[in-house]
Amino acid sequence: MNGHFFWNGAPVAFRPGETIAAALLRAGVADLGQPHEAPGGRVFCGIGACQGCVVAVANAAPVEACLTPAREGLRLGPLPAIGADHA
Amino acid sequence: MREVPILVVGGGPAGASAAATLAEAGLPVLLSEQRDQLGGAIHRQSAGGTESHVWRPGRHRRNWTALTARLQAAADRVEIRTQTIFLGVDGEGRFLFDDRRSGRVFARQPRAAIIAAGAIETIRPFPGWELPGVMTVGGAQVLLKETGRPPAGPILVAGSGPLLPALSAQLAKAGNPPVAVLERGQPWRMPKAMARLALSGGPIGEAAAYAATLAAHRVPYRCGAVVTCAEPDRDGLKVGIRIGTSEQTLRVRHLLIHDGIEPNRTGIPLPAPDATVPILLAGDGREALGADAARLDGRLAALRLLGRLGRAIAGTAPEEQGLQRARDFQTALARALHSEPIQPAPETVICRCEGRSYADLQDLADDASAREIRLMGRFGLGACQGRFCGPMIAALRGRPLPATSPPRWPLRPVSVAALARLSIDETE
Repeated sequence: MNGHFFWNGAPVAFRPGETIAAALLRAGVADLGQPHEAPGGRVFCGIGACQGCVVAVANAAPVEACLTPAREGLRLGPLPAIGADHA
Repeated sequence: MREVPILVVGGGPAGASAAATLAEAGLPVLLSEQRDQLGGAIHRQSAGGTESHVWRPGRHRRNWTALTARLQAAADRVEIRTQTIFLGVDGEGRFLFDDRRSGRVFARQPRAAIIAAGAIETIRPFPGWELPGVMTVGGAQVLLKETGRPPAGPILVAGSGPLLPALSAQLAKAGNPPVAVLERGQPWRMPKAMARLALSGGPIGEAAAYAATLAAHRVPYRCGAVVTCAEPDRDGLKVGIRIGTSEQTLRVRHLLIHDGIEPNRTGIPLPAPDATVPILLAGDGREALGADAARLDGRLAALRLLGRLGRAIAGTAPEEQGLQRARDFQTALARALHSEPIQPAPETVICRCEGRSYADLQDLADDASAREIRLMGRFGLGACQGRFCGPMIAALRGRPLPATSPPRWPLRPVSVAALARLSIDETE
């Protein structure tokens, strides 16, 4: 293991070059959140097509966990519920 | 001013083969790839550049080694942009890319483009397919190739096609054989198709190696067997299965599903014969025939493009013959594994992005247009833009989902900050 990022504030270890999805699944994180009135996020297709594993990134745009190399210190979490910002 | 490059979108076997062929003919190429390494799903390497221990057929390794060597030899004419997502073509004919490394969108007006965006997997929906813990067989295979480690806990593999035993054998060799492989088809009921398959010259040796591995690890391979539903069960899944007329429940941690592949064409610009900027499709993104054919198809697309640009080209008969062989094999395979579609339960999720069910789909008129399906049904309106629900809806309605025309960009969500930093190539 070479680094850590954070999922919902909890550290998740990753190996060099590994995707966010690979590290989350190894850590036993399969459920990537529950947006409002829609099925929750999860890694599904592994090739960026289904958008099921899109995760929120602090201070940056959301990314597909299955395409994106993990980086030290990234702060990640589930996508916010649709419309949550406007409630 | 430097020469305007040819764009090649997608760094799998088709894109890499097209890029190498164009560069060897002396043309500059911009090769874009969404991942951090070339290879596509088939040649996905282990993360961090360490040696991959996942077993795979020797010919794939040799083919990829040869292709990367050709790209290396032509490196001065091939600009490779990794972690770069193709977003589509804008109203001015500019090809837009999201460079995720620099957080910046850039646009290029190429001389021509070859789009080799690969395939997507299709699935047949059942209640619960949208749950965490359910993944596609291809997605799980990519993860296995990258990490070298199988997922922990009991795995069930279900659906249809040769990828099921292939991944199951790789999982077994990596230390976690699946509890069972459920093949929807009943090939023994299709003796003529089986005979044609045996004569098609397909990778029979490869199939035998997978079968032997599954037998050695005592993995049951059941035909005429389907998953009927999945429910959350503590930290795993409770999966209903039906084999013939007998119903059972299995408790597993991972359910891997797959019912074939289709060209990834959602939002991809269509080739027009008279376009000023020629666009060609190549590989599984043109016709889903698998990795061996994709390599030939990439070369074929490059040769055709060279012909259109007025270059003298070599004959294309060997590539055409290779593609026809792959097509014959896939046709025989599809016949041998054919099974009639099953109408899913009304509550079955069809569109995962928007949480729309089969009942919602049935509420739409039979002749609903693409616009009605999207705006009234909210199918294909979510983040995946119908890449997954599109083929399901087409199969359930018995006709293709009408495409939105012209294709709209962005094909993928893109950050407004990256768009605001748009840079337009100054060679225009």
